[in-house]
Amino acid sequence: MMTATVVLENLLLIFLVLCAVMSVRFEEELISIIFLSTFSIVLTALYLLHRAADVALAEAVIGAGLSTAIFMSAISQIRHGDSD
Amino acid sequence: MHKYLKKTLVISVFILTAIALYENFLLVPEYTGLRTGVSDYIISSGLSDTGSLNLITAVLYDYRAFDSLGESTVIFGAVSGIVLILSRKMLPVSSRGLSFIVKRTFGLVTPFIALFSLYVITHGHLSPGGGFQGGVILAVISIIFSIVYGSAFDYRRYSPQVKTAMETMGAFTFLGLGVVGILMEGFFLKNLGFLTARTGTLISAGSIPYVNFGVGIKVGAGLAIIFYSMIQKTFKEDF
Amino acid sequence: MRNNFIFIILFMLGLYALIMKTNLIKNVIGLNIMEASIFFWVIAFSDVGGEVAIHKMGEEFSKFNDPVPQALTLTGIVIGASTAALLLTLIIELNQFTDTIDRDEIEGLNN
Repeated sequence: MMTATVVLENLLLIFLVLCAVMSVRFEEELISIIFLSTFSIVLTALYLLHRAADVALAEAVIGAGLSTAIFMSAISQIRHGDSD
Repeated sequence: MHKYLKKTLVISVFILTAIALYENFLLVPEYTGLRTGVSDYIISSGLSDTGSLNLITAVLYDYRAFDSLGESTVIFGAVSGIVLILSRKMLPVSSRGLSFIVKRTFGLVTPFIALFSLYVITHGHLSPGGGFQGGVILAVISIIFSIVYGSAFDYRRYSPQVKTAMETMGAFTFLGLGVVGILMEGFFLKNLGFLTARTGTLISAGSIPYVNFGVGIKVGAGLAIIFYSMIQKTFKEDF
Repeated sequence: MRNNFIFIILFMLGLYALIMKTNLIKNVIGLNIMEASIFFWVIAFSDVGGEVAIHKMGEEFSKFNDPVPQALTLTGIVIGASTAALLLTLIIELNQFTDTIDRDEIEGLNN
C-alpha cells in the first residue's frame, strides 16, 4: 500500500513538471492558461497526498477555477496591432 | 557581441540561482527536529483552547487572526487598485448569453453551488474549508452569471452596489468582532469564550464561525468585483 | 531530499518564463509557477507522515501534520491570486495604449 502511494506521487510529480513545461513553452496564451489550470489540478492531488486538505481545497478553487477565469478575461481584452 | 553578452549573463544567473537553491535546501534541517514548540502546543491544546475541530481554522482565525486581517486588507487593496485602474471603462451590456440548454442546466446547478459555498463557509471549524475557500466559490457564482446569462443579468441581479455593500459588511463584521474581543476579553480579535458551546456543534468554537462568515462574504464580493471590472471594455473605437 | 530537485526545476521554469519570454502574460504565468513551487515545497517539507490536522469526534488521536505551515500557505495562495489579477489589469491598461503585449515591442515604441 505504501509503494502504491509512492508510485502515484512520482507519476503526479512527472505530470506536474510536464504541465509546467508545456505552459511555459507554448507561444499561444490560451494553451498556456489551460495548461496552468491542469498544473493546479495536479498540484491539488499532490496536496491531498501530503495530507493538507484545506490547502488542496483552496488550490482547486482558486488556482483552477478563479485564476483561469481572470486570465481568460484578460486575454479576451488584449488587442493585437497586426490584426487591424 | 551584445547579444552573446546578454545570453551569457542570463545563463549565469540561472546557474547561480539553481546552485543557491540547492545549497539552501541542503542547509534546511529535518522537519521532525523543528516541530517542538509552537506546533506541538497547537496540536496538543488547540481543541481545548478554541473549541475548533479543524486546527488550521483555529490557527487562521484565532491564533493568527491578525494575519488574516492583513490578508483581507491585501485583497481590499488589490480590488481598490483594479477598480481604480479600470474605472474609465464601461460595461458592454450583453444579455444574449449562451444557448438555452446551458442556461437551463446552470439554472438547476447554480443553487447547489451556492449551497455548497455556504456549507464550506459555515462548517469551516468542523471540516476542511473556511472563509477564503467558500468566499471564492461565492465569487464563482457571479462568474457563472456573467458567462452563461450575459453580463446584463449579473448587473441586474447582483449589482456592483450590492457587491460593495457586501464587502463592507464582511470587513465590518471582522473588525467588529475584534473590537468586541477588546471589550469582553481584553485583547484585539481574541476568541469570545462565552460563545463556546459543546464541541462539534455548528455554532461552537467561540467567534470563529462569525469571523468565517465575515471573511467569506468579504472575499467573495471582492473577487466578484475583480472579475466584473476585468470584463469591462472601452467603447473608444467602436463608435 | 528526492523532491528537492522537483522544486528547483519548477522554480527555474518559472524564472525562465519571467526572464526570457517577452510576452507579458507569459511572465505572469511564470510568476504563478514560481509561487506554486514554493508553496508545494513548504507543504511537502512539513509533511511528517501524520493525518490531516482535523480532530475527529470521540477519537483521541494526536499524530497530525503541522497546521501552521498549511495556514501560511493558504494565506499565500489567496494573495497570489489577487496580485496576479492586479498584474493582468496593468497589462490590459498598457495594451490600450500600445496595442501589444510584447515587452521588446513596447521598449521599441519609446525610441
